[in-house]
Amino acid sequence: MKIKSIHILLAIIIVIGGGILLASELDLYNTTRVKTPRKTAEGIADVIDMRGSHSLEEIEKYYKLPASSVIEAFGLRPDTDPNFFQLKDMKEIFTPVELEEGEYIVETDTVKVFTSLYLKIPYVSDETFYLPEKTVNYLIENDKLTGEEKEYWQGHAFKLEYLDSKYLTASEFSKIVVEEAGGFKVTGRTTIQELLDYGVTEEKFEEVTGFKIPDKKLVSFRDFVIDKGLEFGEVKDKFIE
Amino acid sequence: MSKKSKNKHLIRLAVQIFFLALIILISVNHFRSEQGLAPLLIGNPSLHAVCPFGGVVTIYSYFTEGTFIPKIHQSSITLMWLVIGLTLLFGPVFCGWICPFGTVQEFVGKIGRKIFKKEYNNFIPSVIDKPLRYLRYVILLLVVVNTAISGKLLFSNFDPYFALFNIWSSEVTRLSLLVLGLTLIGSLFVERPWCKYLCPFGALLGIFNLFRIVKLKRNEKTCINCKKCDQACPMNIDISTSKTITDHQCISCLLCTDEMACPVSNTLSFSLLESKSPTENSKNDSGVKVRESISGGGK
Repeated sequence: MKIKSIHILLAIIIVIGGGILLASELDLYNTTRVKTPRKTAEGIADVIDMRGSHSLEEIEKYYKLPASSVIEAFGLRPDTDPNFFQLKDMKEIFTPVELEEGEYIVETDTVKVFTSLYLKIPYVSDETFYLPEKTVNYLIENDKLTGEEKEYWQGHAFKLEYLDSKYLTASEFSKIVVEEAGGFKVTGRTTIQELLDYGVTEEKFEEVTGFKIPDKKLVSFRDFVIDKGLEFGEVKDKFIE
Repeated sequence: MSKKSKNKHLIRLAVQIFFLALIILISVNHFRSEQGLAPLLIGNPSLHAVCPFGGVVTIYSYFTEGTFIPKIHQSSITLMWLVIGLTLLFGPVFCGWICPFGTVQEFVGKIGRKIFKKEYNNFIPSVIDKPLRYLRYVILLLVVVNTAISGKLLFSNFDPYFALFNIWSSEVTRLSLLVLGLTLIGSLFVERPWCKYLCPFGALLGIFNLFRIVKLKRNEKTCINCKKCDQACPMNIDISTSKTITDHQCISCLLCTDEMACPVSNTLSFSLLESKSPTENSKNDSGVKVRESISGGGK
């Protein structure tokens, strides 16, 4: 039998098109992440399934790890919106650290280790992990480490530094003084709704950020900007101009 | 090119444009979703979710831990198996008909063909070209092993396909943009340079050419040795000297076959069974086509 172009076309439709339809019916064609982590034999959410796109709220929901603990342990701003802040956002906040093994970035895997220690659930990985001093201290203060663990993690800790020097730590947050422009203050706590209420037009918002106003207007403008990969300080200055 | 042959070309072209448009739509939808806008026509999966190579890179973690590496989803594994199934039947049809990045290179190559005419796709000396063709296997090995070790999607750091269709995203690295730029420039001189020398997924699918069920065969008895098949092949395979084409670079585009370039019927075709004998050919309409070709009235 001779195979021609039309046969290849039919084969593509049947194998690829039909295959996708069949797989969809069998629930084998998920194009989005499965949010719910799998359960371990002990019936608890598996830390390995923690993803960079999980928000702090989702982490709280699935792992019973309070969002406030992550915020405090990692020195995030206390006004961080748990519903909006995703674990991968950490990369945009903290400076990569030069360690003996090379460059170390605070990201999802770091939160996995923290979760494992905080909740005392296993997390096995071949990588050597480090934790920020602040996080180790938080675990010690909350009596989450055994003597041996305490010794180990104190030897595998580093000083946490923010990429943006204006990023405010929890203790400094209450003292924020922000720049003023046209009678209103653009602070780290300013929500997008507040910007609109102060008279920032949709056009101005789009011109400055390069993005349309999101549906969720109660999120902080700062979190929105960081999520889009922009520098808060720079964008804020453009509003002032 | 005869009208009939042109129509056959259109079938493949239509498939290529369909998949290219689909990927562009997915890319646009992904962008729209990040702007808080509703997706158009279809959903907004990520590009990783609709790339079968994602299934290959996560294969280790899938079989050892039952998980996917970050950014890869179930759909990638499913697509990988479907593409492998199709490849087992017809060879790398995915490369020649479906892959949007192959299509883009081919379209850019049409400009190069116009500029350089017969010299196009013949710039690289055979002594350099042949060993370079195996580089993609080294890349395949490096990608799969390093992904298994790191558990991360390292390939996207230099993947020109991801860079092209996700160019608006901050996820695209400078390295991948550089690879994309070089590939597109290279396509002006060489047909499908990424596919030939670097594509790890093409490398994997190319292995199936050795044992695909539907084989590309040349009938030595009826072949008039005009070498039109060699000239038509985008991957520079020496088709006119082989009986069964098992070259790992074949992308099953059908451009060389008697449906397209070959002027003699039943001489070069994809077939499940052996080609017909010359005696049988003479009984069919093929003789007319041979005479046309010899007298210059063919393709």
